[in-house]
Amino acid sequence: MDDMEKAILILFDESGSIDEGLKKKVKDYCNEIKEKPSICSICIDKLCFSGLVQVQFWCLQTLHEVIRVRYASVSLDEKFFIRKSVFSIACLEAVDDKNVARVIDGPAFIKNKLAQVLVTLIYFEYPLIWSSVFVDFLPRLRNGVLVIDMFCRILNALDDEVISLDYQRTPEELVVAGRIKDAMRQQCVPQIVRAWYDIVSLYRNSDQELCASVLESMRRYISWIDIGLIVNDAFIPLLFDLILAGGLSEQLRGAAAACLLAVVSKRMEPQSKLSLLQSLPISQVFGLVAEDVDSELVSSIAALLSGYAAEVLECFKRLNSEEAKGVSMELLNEVLPSVFYVMQNCEVDAAFSIVQFLSSYVGTMKNLSPLREKQLLHVGQILEVILTHIRYDSTYRNNLDILDKIGREEEDRMVEFRKDLFVLLRNVNRVAPDVTQLFIRNSLTNAVASSPDMNVEEVEAALSLFYALGESISEESMRTGSGLLRELVPMLLSTRFPCHSNRLVALVYLETVTRYLKFVQENTQYIPIVLAAFLDERGIHHPNINVSRRASYLFMRVVKLLKVKLVPFIETILQSLQDTVARFTSMDYASKDLPGSEDGSHIFEAIGLLIGMEDVPPEKQSDYLSALLTPLCQQVDSLIMNAKLLSLEEAPAKIAVIQQIIMAINSLSKGFSERLVTASRPTIGIMFKQTLDVLLQVLVVFPKVEPLRSKVTSFIHRMVETLGASVFPYLPKALEQLLAESEPKEMVGFLLLLNQLICKFNNMFHDILEEVFPAIAGRIFSVIPRDAFPSGPGTNTEEIRELQELQKALYTFLHVIATHNLSSVFLSSKSRAYLGPMMQLLLYTSCNHRDILVRKACVQIFITLIKDWCARPSGEEKVPGFQKFIIETFATDCCLYSLLDKSFEFRDANTLVLFGEIVLAQKVMYEKFGDEFLIHFVSKGFPAAHCPQDLAEQYCLNLQGNDIKALKSFYQSLIENLRMQQNGSLVFR
Amino acid sequence: MALPNQQTVDYPSFKLVIVGDGGTGKTTFVKRHLTGEFEKKYEPTIGVEVHPLDFFTNCGKIRFYCWDTAGQEKFGGLRDGYYIHGQCAIIMFDVTARLTYKNVPTWHRDLCRVCENIPIVLCGNKVDVRNRQVKAKQVTFHRKKNLQYYEISAKSNYNFEKPFLYLARKLAGDPALHFVESPALAPPEVQIDLAAQQQHEAELVAAASQPLPDDDDDAFE
Repeated sequence: MDDMEKAILILFDESGSIDEGLKKKVKDYCNEIKEKPSICSICIDKLCFSGLVQVQFWCLQTLHEVIRVRYASVSLDEKFFIRKSVFSIACLEAVDDKNVARVIDGPAFIKNKLAQVLVTLIYFEYPLIWSSVFVDFLPRLRNGVLVIDMFCRILNALDDEVISLDYQRTPEELVVAGRIKDAMRQQCVPQIVRAWYDIVSLYRNSDQELCASVLESMRRYISWIDIGLIVNDAFIPLLFDLILAGGLSEQLRGAAAACLLAVVSKRMEPQSKLSLLQSLPISQVFGLVAEDVDSELVSSIAALLSGYAAEVLECFKRLNSEEAKGVSMELLNEVLPSVFYVMQNCEVDAAFSIVQFLSSYVGTMKNLSPLREKQLLHVGQILEVILTHIRYDSTYRNNLDILDKIGREEEDRMVEFRKDLFVLLRNVNRVAPDVTQLFIRNSLTNAVASSPDMNVEEVEAALSLFYALGESISEESMRTGSGLLRELVPMLLSTRFPCHSNRLVALVYLETVTRYLKFVQENTQYIPIVLAAFLDERGIHHPNINVSRRASYLFMRVVKLLKVKLVPFIETILQSLQDTVARFTSMDYASKDLPGSEDGSHIFEAIGLLIGMEDVPPEKQSDYLSALLTPLCQQVDSLIMNAKLLSLEEAPAKIAVIQQIIMAINSLSKGFSERLVTASRPTIGIMFKQTLDVLLQVLVVFPKVEPLRSKVTSFIHRMVETLGASVFPYLPKALEQLLAESEPKEMVGFLLLLNQLICKFNNMFHDILEEVFPAIAGRIFSVIPRDAFPSGPGTNTEEIRELQELQKALYTFLHVIATHNLSSVFLSSKSRAYLGPMMQLLLYTSCNHRDILVRKACVQIFITLIKDWCARPSGEEKVPGFQKFIIETFATDCCLYSLLDKSFEFRDANTLVLFGEIVLAQKVMYEKFGDEFLIHFVSKGFPAAHCPQDLAEQYCLNLQGNDIKALKSFYQSLIENLRMQQNGSLVFR
Repeated sequence: MALPNQQTVDYPSFKLVIVGDGGTGKTTFVKRHLTGEFEKKYEPTIGVEVHPLDFFTNCGKIRFYCWDTAGQEKFGGLRDGYYIHGQCAIIMFDVTARLTYKNVPTWHRDLCRVCENIPIVLCGNKVDVRNRQVKAKQVTFHRKKNLQYYEISAKSNYNFEKPFLYLARKLAGDPALHFVESPALAPPEVQIDLAAQQQHEAELVAAASQPLPDDDDDAFE
């Protein structure tokens, strides 16, 4: 081993045992070798005569790099030498008159790397400089199987590196690829095809692996060579012969099938394609799919058959003559039974493209109604295929039932896998609704009757079909029970499926019932059956908590839809839910939190919807409600009372219970309308007020517990809706509590509450708002920056994002205040201190904010304030200094300078709306301030923007006129004019 | 020798090669496994870094020597030289950067030139990011080449084990093999937004349930 070899071995060593310093030295040493003028000769020499694969690989890699990067600077002699050597090595011929290098005797990766080097030479030199590379190679195929194998690798590498369209290529590379293909077609493709034929014929029994490699490279070339070279009396029989020869390896037979698939898929005119397809004796291979279904051969045949069928279908669609349509339909009918067989029996991999094909086939049926008998038969088979594939494997039954990790994975996989199949199902239902629904009915019947060891999966699959079907059925047909639905829905409701204890079956049953509820709405005799399904151990009382929680949610939807029709059943429903209701707020239930919104609180929403109806007699109503609220409030009361004594370990569990209770009451209240609570049944209102009293205590006792705060906040949101203005007495204290020590994130929620109050109560909310505003302003202005947030690396932190959210909420808040006639709040004596900073922030934002909608909101705030505060004729100024600020700063900065920036994009719809507001602001300023505004704007603002005198004069005329549209379009042209003049060079900010 | 002989272990070990464009998160991904540390800052990998990652299966412990290779050409080192004797591989792309997906075929080709017929997993990383550029439906390469595809989020540990489990099953020739113990992972840096994922999926279903177009041209991009 010489130094270079040693060095390369060290270079490849990643075992961690090499000293860093040594490694660095070795790297430098190898890089020095690469820089030597004789590097190519060195590489070829080492490649031939070193037995170390790392050294050989390094040499090939270096050679490749030289050719790729700096071949132009290599001398002609050396190029000749490289070409000759690489070629000789690949053909197993003597490199230097005496020694034959046996590089291609080595491992595959060396041979592939060698092929890559040779292809790179072809890339640069074929056909102009080295025109004979292929014709020289062909006679050397006689040198033996190693050389034939090498030839295949070269052709594969040529495809991968240069020709195939699967890779990103530069335009230049595409030109080269075209040149190479053209030259090969003219010069040597027929000879190459001949060689392939001869090799396969010669070696088919002695070296099947070699033949498979040959066919594998041939497959890559079929798409761009003359198809007549393959589709002829010699090659096609050979390919079929190989596929059918039972004694040959699966690999070789599969490779032959893949070649046929390439032939079938070749892009051609539909008429010639149809003739080609017709000429293939494809029916010869139909029988093969019935062999061992797990074999690789079967999946190649499956791919061939589905590819063939897809091409026939394509011809059917594209050709218009009766004859062509007839021929293609005939071919299709011939191949379809095998395709269905494959689909029923083969692994999923092949299934995917078949689903696509079936969808396409069903798509053509749309134009074929009524369907012929044969097609109806096919529809039935397609439905069979769907049912087979959506069925779970019973080995996962237990995993799926307890939903462990394996079960969850299997369920996810199936959900994903079913998507395409269900789309297919619905399309089938569109072309053949009767067949589809009959099929579903039979599947349900069969499932119920199936053997106990299979019925879980059968039932689940049949119900899932029915469920998926519902997605494409119109509300109208669901209500009236069109077609077989009239029979199917009652069957669904009245059948006792044998495996309801299974999680999946229970879930899909409830989902399906819910989906077809519209039918029950019209056929109320089924209501008791539906209620039973939800209330007994198939639904809310199911032993599996996932099922019972989902059932709670679905039951809520049932109640929403059937509502009034359920009044006679209220008593029964409440009775059977007693235990569930109690469980919800028990200690051990609260701790079992499941992800997502399915927390079980929907059961309270359902109850609220039921007992909150006006159809319930008043006395009953208060009884029901008090029976629910009283214990919950007592529970909170006692938890609060003992709060001081709570230890650190106990606290989280207790807090969780309180949260559950608030959620329950919250959901419950959704069923009670404001009208009922405040006008027709005030007793109910009193009960909710008492509840609010209790829950507000939670804030006092647990002031800093964020989840409780947010739960109470959302309860106040609800009570605003339910109690209306009678909630007022509670607000001052509640708001004070919520505001105390609130973090930016909580503050955002708080502002949202205030927005709701303002929007609902307008001026009535004035006094309370005036009271809290200074504290809010003080808090927010102490945390958010007055202008831009920092940007650049490291600034995208959670804290900054929260502050940005807060700032955005603040703009909405101010906007809501201004647009609800409450701007006087800003002027109270305690708020005055914040007026300055607020104006600065609004100004900065209206000129600069990234979000155009935020800018628009700020401009609108200004417009409102100008209207509110600058009454004309002006006697005493309502807000001293405001008018000056507006005329001298806002008008120029926002209404003129901020528009000159190129980033103000007139083609953007939102920006255009902002622009409209800005123009409106000018109009309002002119109305309020008259010439005071106009003179300043024209004499100070315009000159600074280098506005020509004539444009300024026109501006005045437009502003004074009555046509706001004309003003807008004039002002836009003025801005564009100014921008053009300055070419964006003037920056005002 | 190219096979790492560091800390030779008495249980089965495999060389796993990780390739993909620079910045797709290869290094972050391997470093989620707590035998290595993890870094937030992006520092391009120079050449290769080998991380031994252990997993516990129902058939015993196994080790993947993960060869985390440089995605950026200028830091390539031996480039495809590192693939020699690779026994399985992961090709990574970034669902928020379309180009990284378009380059997947090239990585696959370069890999297969050196490692013929090894199990390969394609991973779409960064699915936690809200506006992805490569939608799940658009990922079709794995079907052509018979690879396994997983959506992952190295930052949130989402699906971290999946690629390893798939490769372990293939290498062991046992489709029922499973991990009996979760490896120690670095805590998730972000929570994957399940609601958004679900909505995303709901949209997919909605799109898929559209009636068939009359002209059935392939919808692939």
